[in-house]
Amino acid sequence: MLTGDRVGEGARDGGRAGLLLDWSFTAAELPQLRLLVEEHAARAGLGARRRGEFVFAVSEIATNAVEHAGGRGRLRLRRIAGELECQVADAGPGFTEAVIPELAPGVDGDGRGGRGLWLARMVTDRLTVEDGAPGAVVTVAVKLPG
Amino acid sequence: MPERPESSTTGSEIPVQRMRPGDHAFVSYGDDEGRWDVLTAFTWLGLAGGERVIVFADPGVPRDDVLARLGADSPELADALGRGQLVLSSMRELIQPERNFTATRQQARLVEETDRAVGDGYRALRAYIDMHWVPALGTDVSAMIDRETHADHLFTDRPYSEICAYDRRWFDDAVLEAMRRAHPCNLLEYVGALHAEHTSGVVRFAGEADLATRERFTAAVAVAMAAARGHALTVDLTHLHFLSAGCAGDLLRAAAAVSGPARVDIRCSPFQAGLLRNLGARETVRLVLSETGAGC
Repeated sequence: MLTGDRVGEGARDGGRAGLLLDWSFTAAELPQLRLLVEEHAARAGLGARRRGEFVFAVSEIATNAVEHAGGRGRLRLRRIAGELECQVADAGPGFTEAVIPELAPGVDGDGRGGRGLWLARMVTDRLTVEDGAPGAVVTVAVKLPG
Repeated sequence: MPERPESSTTGSEIPVQRMRPGDHAFVSYGDDEGRWDVLTAFTWLGLAGGERVIVFADPGVPRDDVLARLGADSPELADALGRGQLVLSSMRELIQPERNFTATRQQARLVEETDRAVGDGYRALRAYIDMHWVPALGTDVSAMIDRETHADHLFTDRPYSEICAYDRRWFDDAVLEAMRRAHPCNLLEYVGALHAEHTSGVVRFAGEADLATRERFTAAVAVAMAAARGHALTVDLTHLHFLSAGCAGDLLRAAAAVSGPARVDIRCSPFQAGLLRNLGARETVRLVLSETGAGC
């Protein structure tokens, strides 16, 4: 079921400006997470191709949190300044952008999530990794049309 | 993740996210999880896509319960109800002032509602019909079957899509099988499900290949590769709504391990083709990517 915390687009309280979705997730909820992000991306005006790329990127960083950072994460989806932005925070050991390969990682990848993050960076307009103390916060964003 | 029963298949399985105007789909459920999963996804994606959504829920389920399942505390849901983009109705209400169901009356009303939705500025109309209306109206199952098998005009070149949801606890197996075959599309029962179908020289996937279904995806690829016995194999990904980097990598590794001259033809969307190329598809000489316009 879609049980994520849907937040009205007009929410403006306490740093929640533009917040569309705030959801703590586990592995079992990844399909629902993708569905919610896809729905909000459609509302935001992303076309089918760009929407698919954004959903892919969000799913890869959420999967990374589930697989390598304690089995769960927290997703915040926001619409800000002409962008759709998604943050995934985890409580794992933390990592930096150094885990993301500079060049295409190839079919065997590195087994530590770098391949998924490399692809997520490739199909979005912005990807950053920050110290979440504890864990890491990965942010991806795409520009919204016109 | 519960899996759909592996009955015989028709090659028309799609995930609910792939429902488009013109689609007429069958789905069955055996518990409440499946019942609400598809309805919720269908409703929210329709609203987000600018379609009007009419929900004909099980008449035995109170309206407030339906709303609660859809997310009653959501401001978007309240807005959609308020402006008439989302409508909760019933078959009894649809066919008024008639009291008895006839396919003619029901279909004429659905045509009217489709035209009205477009006239009101919506891209299309989508309807979710829980088939519990059949016993609720005292309708003979044969009348329902007749309607379901003579409904093409509602969909052909029309901005209308419909899910007919059958409760396996009420309809008998023969009716379910006949109805499944009568519908052009068969929906996967849960969001996140993966369906793999093997035919001669082809393995066709539908649904989502992700962390939860990766083992099944990879196993199905391996079975198909082994069954091909050195002959050409087509891997059809066009009905996969999601392909993770992990599953894409597994597919490429399996294709690279194929011995002999046989080629592996992967039918896929442009996005999937880009993903596979970025993961090194060009390095696998026997691999051919055939892009279709479908999918995301």
